[in-house]
Order: sequence, then structure tokens, then C-alpha cells
Amino acid sequence: MADADLITRYNYDTFVPEKFRPWMRFDESPPLGEAGPDFSLMRLNGSTVTLKEVVSAHAYTIAEFGSFT
Amino acid sequence: MNALADRVADRNVASVFIYTHEAHPAENYGHVTSIEQKMQHAHDLRDKLGIARDILIDALDGACHRAYGSMPNMTWIFNRSMQPVYKSDWTDANSVSNAIDYFLDVTERRKDREKLAPFRVERLDYRNQDRDAFYKGLERNGPRAVEEFRNAF
Repeated sequence: MADADLITRYNYDTFVPEKFRPWMRFDESPPLGEAGPDFSLMRLNGSTVTLKEVVSAHAYTIAEFGSFT
Repeated sequence: MNALADRVADRNVASVFIYTHEAHPAENYGHVTSIEQKMQHAHDLRDKLGIARDILIDALDGACHRAYGSMPNMTWIFNRSMQPVYKSDWTDANSVSNAIDYFLDVTERRKDREKLAPFRVERLDYRNQDRDAFYKGLERNGPRAVEEFRNAF
């Protein structure tokens, strides 16, 4: 069960620096050339799949992260 | 990015869009509070914004997004061994296109039995800074998104 406080902070309700800046951690992201961490994700039909399952099916996978804004 | 996905699809390259959280929550798409709402936002991304790539939805706590740096619109390229070979803190189709073409060329060179060893490189790429399009995106989410962005910078 994910931490409720974490969920609230991650899904911040207003775009103000004290709420969005803590999440901008690209400098701490995984290095190139070493296996990255795996996670469970959902498809639009509600089924689950792991990032590793997606990535291992092709020579390369382009993964864009984003939202409406 | 959709066009790039189409261009390389027959070269054993998959393209996915991972829905994270609303960077600029506002009147039309507010902050996410349930996985059902998150699923609905992801469906709307496909239906209203025309994201044609496979859309994957991260957990409510953004576990995957946070682990990879949690930038609002970043792009990573993985090889099939789950190793990132490219990462950018912002998405630019030209930059990604340039990178994937390079890696596909590496694949061809290996087929030609070139002996290749990986090395690390850092590079500063340049993206189009289309302020009008950016603000239109904010407006699509509601006036509060525009106001908060202006106040933040």
C-alpha cells in the first residue's frame, strides 16, 4: 500500500515551487548502460504489465513520460 | 513523437507514453486522487490529444516516474536488456530521432561484425521553445494552470 502522504505530495494540487520542485530529480536518475529499475504499469484496458516486459519485446523502446500539461 | 514512432516501428523499436501526474493541475484536469481518475485522464490523452502510441499508466504514487527522475516531460530510450541508452530531461522529437537513428546504425554495424564498445557521452541538445503552443496547452487545462505558471516564474 503506497503511503498516502506520498500520493498527496506527488499528485500536488497547485503548481507552486514548493510543491513541484522537490520532484525534479533528473540528476539523481538511473545511469545509462546499467539495467534500470522495473515497475508495474497499467494498460488502458486495465491489465498490468511491467516496464521490463514492454522493453524486452523490442530492440529499443522509446518511453516518453508526461501528462496533459 | 507519434510521427517518429511510426517511422521506426518497423525497425524493431517500440514507442510508449507513460502517464504520470498532472504537472499543471487546473479546472479541466485536476490533481489525481484515484487510479480510476488516472485511467480516465490516460484515455483522454489518447482520445483528445491524439496520443497514438501505447499508453501505460504509472502507479498512483508515481513509482516509475519518480525512480527515473520525475521530470514532467522526459524521454528515455531502453535497449531490450532494460538498460537506458538515452535520457533527456525534456522531450524533443528531433533529439530522440537523432538518438534512435544512431542506435539503429549501431545495430547495423554489429551485424556487419564491427567490434563496438560502449562509452558515455554528454551532449546539450536544443529544442523548439514554442511559448504559444506551451501556453495553449496550459489554457487547455484551464485558466488556473496559466496563472500558476506565470506566478511561478
